[in-house]
Amino acid sequence: MIARIQNIDFVGKWKTWFTFSGIFLAVGLVTIALGNLNFGLDFQGGSQFTATNAQNQISEGELREALPPDIRQDAQIQSLGQNGFDVRTPVVSEGEASDIRDAMSGALEAEISATSISPSFGEQIRNDALGAVAASLLVIILFITLRYEFIFALAAMAALTHDIVVTVGIYAIVGREVSLVTVVAVLTILGYSVYDTIIVFDRIRENTPEVGYNRRRFNEMVNQSIRQVVRRSIYTTISTLIPVTALLIFGVSTLADFAFALLVGIAAGAYSSIFIASPVLALLKTWQSKRAKAAEERERTSETAS
Amino acid sequence: MNSLRNNLIILGLVVVLLGAAAYLIFLRQPVSEATQLGLDLEGGVRVQMEGFREDGGEVTTEEMERAIEVIRDRVDSLGVTEPEIRQQGADQALVDIPGLTDTEQAVEVIGRTAQLYFYEVVTIDQEQAAGPEEAEEVREELREDLRGDSDFEEGETQILFGEQRDPGIEGILVTGYIVSEEPDMTGEALNNAILTRDETGRLGVQMDLTNQGGQQFLDLSREISQNALASGQPDSGQLAIVLDEEVVSAPVVSQPISGGQVIIENRSNPQGLPQDEAEELEVVLQTGALPVNMEILSTQTIGPTLGADSLRSGLTAAAVGFGLVLLFLLFIYRALGVVAALALGIYAVLLWGLVVAIPVTMTLPGIAGIVLSIGVVVDANIVIFERVKEEVRKGKTPRTAVRLGYEKGFRAILDGNATTLITAFILFALASAQVRGFAVLLALGVGLSMLTAVVVTRALLGVVASRNFQLSPAMMGVSKKSIASAQREVK
Repeated sequence: MIARIQNIDFVGKWKTWFTFSGIFLAVGLVTIALGNLNFGLDFQGGSQFTATNAQNQISEGELREALPPDIRQDAQIQSLGQNGFDVRTPVVSEGEASDIRDAMSGALEAEISATSISPSFGEQIRNDALGAVAASLLVIILFITLRYEFIFALAAMAALTHDIVVTVGIYAIVGREVSLVTVVAVLTILGYSVYDTIIVFDRIRENTPEVGYNRRRFNEMVNQSIRQVVRRSIYTTISTLIPVTALLIFGVSTLADFAFALLVGIAAGAYSSIFIASPVLALLKTWQSKRAKAAEERERTSETAS
Repeated sequence: MNSLRNNLIILGLVVVLLGAAAYLIFLRQPVSEATQLGLDLEGGVRVQMEGFREDGGEVTTEEMERAIEVIRDRVDSLGVTEPEIRQQGADQALVDIPGLTDTEQAVEVIGRTAQLYFYEVVTIDQEQAAGPEEAEEVREELREDLRGDSDFEEGETQILFGEQRDPGIEGILVTGYIVSEEPDMTGEALNNAILTRDETGRLGVQMDLTNQGGQQFLDLSREISQNALASGQPDSGQLAIVLDEEVVSAPVVSQPISGGQVIIENRSNPQGLPQDEAEELEVVLQTGALPVNMEILSTQTIGPTLGADSLRSGLTAAAVGFGLVLLFLLFIYRALGVVAALALGIYAVLLWGLVVAIPVTMTLPGIAGIVLSIGVVVDANIVIFERVKEEVRKGKTPRTAVRLGYEKGFRAILDGNATTLITAFILFALASAQVRGFAVLLALGVGLSMLTAVVVTRALLGVVASRNFQLSPAMMGVSKKSIASAQREVK
């Protein structure tokens, strides 16, 4: 299996990989553009009441009837398995929240947990989160430029953007709620995906001969480098996805949300470091050398002209 | 033999560290109390607040620090164990109260500004309202009327309101008061506040004034009674006691009052103030006013069983993930896998020891960070082992292969871990409190993984691959076929 993967022409077949990813990204972006992203409490503000360990088995309708009349209409009720319910309402005052809690615990005989976030705070969380993602991208570009070359950073950025759009796109397609935890997961994916990419780039740097650039030789060398690290990529991805999958299966609420984003993101990251970052690097290198040659050419013609 | 001795020293140090970790986790206290659990695992109330000024001005860090001191006093007076109050940025405060289940009470007590003022009442006007919503309309009507009153002067006086729920009559009695713009006395005159019952058993809050406050109050009450006398209507002078812009009590002052005691009560109710309201009032008056107003950003109540469920599910996930990863390592790396699995075990114990030693509060996102760090630790081994195997395929002896594998693999691991650390730091700096636990544990895990996955496994392998023990390629999961093909390639 791994041997078969090692025989792939990673750089030469870039059009295949890009088309594959392109279709995926396009579907994701269209779904996002259609407004299918489901922003959660963290970003919009509102209140959420979670009943656990309910002793009374009642239907959703009965629970709705039990809620205070003025919020009955706006409440979204969701059943959580056998003995739990999730009730969401727009932002309510502390007094109203208290009434809702009492109503729920009375009707269900359950333990009620509640979260309430003001809309202005939701906005602040959103801005902070976007700021954190932007800052990470910037620092990562800087770091790779410093340790490698600017075009390595560009190639890594292409892979990162790919991973983020794929992850967010899947969220839009599946309709899963986007929360603060999702953003944290995306940031983690950034770190992880860069790690994957760096492992490949480190090989490429190590294998790059001292002599000047030659397209065929460079591309073959990139292929060779990937072949050398692909086993590691597969093993690492498996050994990371094992605990993440355990988190998805056994974890509740926050943990499952987090694990879902990581599952998608890490898989995308492993794919992109090999099938996106490396071909993009090879293409950028070709483009860079063409430009350098053209500049040299121009210089020579201007010299002969004078 | 020198390198063997170094390796043995490193392993000896690891054993010492393991012993220290085991002591911290298991012996210093019962193991169930070793790890500090966060609110989301233990259950409790979390309130996040932002300081603001009525006039829209900036809230300074110092003001926020003072506000947090007051909040701390108030939370302490709730009689809860180990509350945690932290300042976030310049103007935010985060209050964690384990074990509490009533957010309403917490918010009433800790978020209330409790700015206390005393005014001489100039004019009043009253009207009945049917319910809370109508009361708002009635306030607007009263405000219009009072603005037209001859006693109202823009800039010199202001209009305040008080509400009374009278059980005798249906609805709410809304009273509008014209008082001067500047208070005659402030809460600074207050020495203490305690619950009290009057002769008919009504509950109220008695405020004891300081010596100077008592003098001020004597002067103020004398002035009020004399002004009333001068206007030809004795026994009509009123004192407005105003808490957070709301008139809580407006007793008639017919003569100068000395002794420095003032009582806030509700005369219309035979029980006086409701018990919970009186207790809250007592606390906020005792602890003094907040220097800034507080807006509640978010509140969270987590029930104890939900917290316990979360903890159990997180631990199950971590244990299952950990076990499966160990099996995977053994399956693909054989003898090397044993070393990696051992290192992973050491990593787990040391990380737990660190969490207890620092101490880091364990939260749900924190558990996620730990689970993820398993991947980071294992990856460092995978990168190095693949290198080692590559060298073995090239025909190197196991000992040389191990040395080369570590030398070449280390650089990539260092770069890779640096990026993970960068994201962890950014997360810590920019994101809110809920996710900080994740960033902290991820960073701790990555740092520790450099020790266990690189230094410790190297020492272990160094000992194993020394002359006393021959490591065959097959024991590392390298097949003869792959060696042959690799050597063909070289030729």
